[in-house]
Amino acid sequence: MNIVFLLIPLGMVLMVAAVAALFWAVNSGQYDDLEDAGRTVVDPEDE
Amino acid sequence: MDHVAHASLSSLGHASWSARGVSHTVFAIEGMRCANCSRAVTRAISALPGVEHISVNAATGRAAVDWDPTTIALKKILDAVTRAGFKPLPLGGVTAASAQRAEHRLALKRIGLAGLGMMQTMMFVYCIYAAGSHGIDPAIAQYLKLAGLLIATPVLVYCGSPFFTGALRDIRRGSLGMDVPVALALAIAYTASVINTLRGAGEIYFDSVTMFIFFLLAGRFVEMTVRQRNLSATEALARSLPSTVARIAADGTTERISPELIRPGDLLSIPKGAVIPVDCRLVEGDTVVDESLLTGESTAIAKRTGESLLGGAINVGRPTRVIAMTRTSESMLASLVRLLERTQAARPSITQAADRVASWFVVLTVSLALAAALFWLFAEPTRALPAALAVLVVTCPCALSPTTPAAIAAATARLARLGLLVTRPDALERLARVDVMVIDKTGTLTCGAPVVEVTDIKGEYSRDALLQIAAALESVSDHPIAVAFRAHANKNVTADSLEEFPGKGMEGRINGTWWRLGTHQFVMDLTRPHAGAPGTPERTSATASATANSDAASAECADPHAEFAPTGIFLGTPQGLAATFSLTDGLRPDAALAVEQLRGLGLQVAIASGDEQTRVDTVARQLHIQDALGRLTPQQKLALVQQRQAAGSNILMVGDGINDGPVLAAASVSCAMARGSAVAQAAGDLLLLNDSLTTLAEGIRTARQMRAAIRQNLAWALAYNLAAVPLAAMGWIAPWVAAIGMSMSSLLVVLNAARLARPRGARP
Repeated sequence: MNIVFLLIPLGMVLMVAAVAALFWAVNSGQYDDLEDAGRTVVDPEDE
Repeated sequence: MDHVAHASLSSLGHASWSARGVSHTVFAIEGMRCANCSRAVTRAISALPGVEHISVNAATGRAAVDWDPTTIALKKILDAVTRAGFKPLPLGGVTAASAQRAEHRLALKRIGLAGLGMMQTMMFVYCIYAAGSHGIDPAIAQYLKLAGLLIATPVLVYCGSPFFTGALRDIRRGSLGMDVPVALALAIAYTASVINTLRGAGEIYFDSVTMFIFFLLAGRFVEMTVRQRNLSATEALARSLPSTVARIAADGTTERISPELIRPGDLLSIPKGAVIPVDCRLVEGDTVVDESLLTGESTAIAKRTGESLLGGAINVGRPTRVIAMTRTSESMLASLVRLLERTQAARPSITQAADRVASWFVVLTVSLALAAALFWLFAEPTRALPAALAVLVVTCPCALSPTTPAAIAAATARLARLGLLVTRPDALERLARVDVMVIDKTGTLTCGAPVVEVTDIKGEYSRDALLQIAAALESVSDHPIAVAFRAHANKNVTADSLEEFPGKGMEGRINGTWWRLGTHQFVMDLTRPHAGAPGTPERTSATASATANSDAASAECADPHAEFAPTGIFLGTPQGLAATFSLTDGLRPDAALAVEQLRGLGLQVAIASGDEQTRVDTVARQLHIQDALGRLTPQQKLALVQQRQAAGSNILMVGDGINDGPVLAAASVSCAMARGSAVAQAAGDLLLLNDSLTTLAEGIRTARQMRAAIRQNLAWALAYNLAAVPLAAMGWIAPWVAAIGMSMSSLLVVLNAARLARPRGARP
């Protein structure tokens, strides 16, 4: 069972990585506008 | 005094305007989410000298202040808001947008961290639970608890901070808001868990703490999204103004100026796709404009040179040049934005009642939790803490506040998009109760197909006989005028030898007598046998033409306030003129549909008009309205409305909003048909911007849906709390189950309110 003492910190590191990735994504504006980006695909006047 | 308000407008971007020495300012307030918050802001501001009136709306996060610029500066008011623990924000423009974006981002990060933290702590705690009676290596159990502590701490500090700051603010000013029980539950659960972890014995609630935070944040995020979307209806209007406009100087050169600098008389160039900045007149190039943002009218409207354009409309046709008729602050767009701001900032009485109840609700919750804790402390001490926590967590006052104001805001926003502007906060509630609709015919029901009027009779024929003769003459024509005459047809009166003279009129023989119906010249020619005998068409040009009349009638419909000039249509025999008819504006094309829809909603429809009884009867007959009175003075209209109200009716009065102010004011709820610059002056709880009474039917439907949604929410809240709180107090609900229950309940009521903002699907 000693492996638990290693795996739990590893899991927490993974969580920290996930949180860091989320914060980076939010801060870089990826979640600011979830609607218009989808619309540009069907907008004929857009490249 | 104007300049004070203006200075604040330019420096801070708040929506401000002044009237009679009182400035009116609307601004957004960050961090305001419950009834107590709005009361705190109200108290902080109303304590200031020079503040005449204040209304704060928690659902929309708005405050509207009437203040005297000679006594107090706007900055003092904003400072008071800051001191109360909130952040005043300018409305519209860049700052509000970036503040909104920052709020959105922070909320997402909090939800993300809380969600991941929740999953991790649940995993750890589950290991301990799952081991159960089999026992778990105490070292591993302790290790898992420490890991839970390690994760729950940042979740509590970073994600749970809004609840603590909110609760602290509440306690500091001595009132209980919704954040108080939440913060209390979080603090107790976390502290107990930390102590139990450190001493290595007892229950831990790290999973409940993270889960509660996650679900609460998710619920508030949905609520915030709903609120921001509702606000965006107004702000879409306010922001639709372009940042610069091309002004053409006298020497033909073009300069780009800020829209605020536009003065009446300026020549502006409007490219295709651009927003028209002010109310103006088209001077060069026919075009097509989209006014959907202003009036809810979805089809684009063709505009010819010389016609007026509304500020806020989009030029979808081709590049044009226009002459400004107003400044941006005086345009219809500005009036609309101001009205919307005022409505959104005000708090309807139903919200105020809900807020008061919500405050008591919190007191009750905390007392119940305390009672449960005391009971279990004597009965079975280990169950005291989870029971108290469950009571604190499970109770859900959300149906009271903030979802009631959210429902009103959602309904208001939806109607604004349809072209029905709610100008008084209580209007929707009153609209839902309406059972009688009284319409002032002129400018509301009428306009469309021309209607025949007898204006002059010469000779021995009766009015009805003349109309029947005319109808018989027109019986074979399918011209719009003929259709109007045919409403008077009598099958006993028939004509033979009918002939149509394009551009002049009709000729035919009835009982052996030749008749002509048409232009004056055409009819008079009949009396002069040499000029044009019956049956021998004479094709000289006629100055006025009956055909042109009907075109004029339909063209007039573009502007409901323009008087339709009656144009003569003449009827005569070889013996001379027999009658003169005129065409007046007829029913609006959708009037019948609208009346039918309104009846379908259970409304009695009545007409009260100042117009001639005969004209009123014509309209009433076409719409199958029994109750139609004409020739009423404004006083008589007022008496009529009051008399019906005394009999217990809730009256919706519809008028043009300009001439019937007193009647509109007396009715239970009033709706004015308003367009263009008339919007600013129109009196009415509701303003109908697109001339279509079917929108009003939709408005009543929406108001009733809103009322139903509020009632559903209250009923749900009552049932849920009555069921859940005793169970929690008995200790039958674990704190984490309570967290799920409360979050699902509040999500349910928020979504039920948000549903109102969604336009319904296509209807026949």
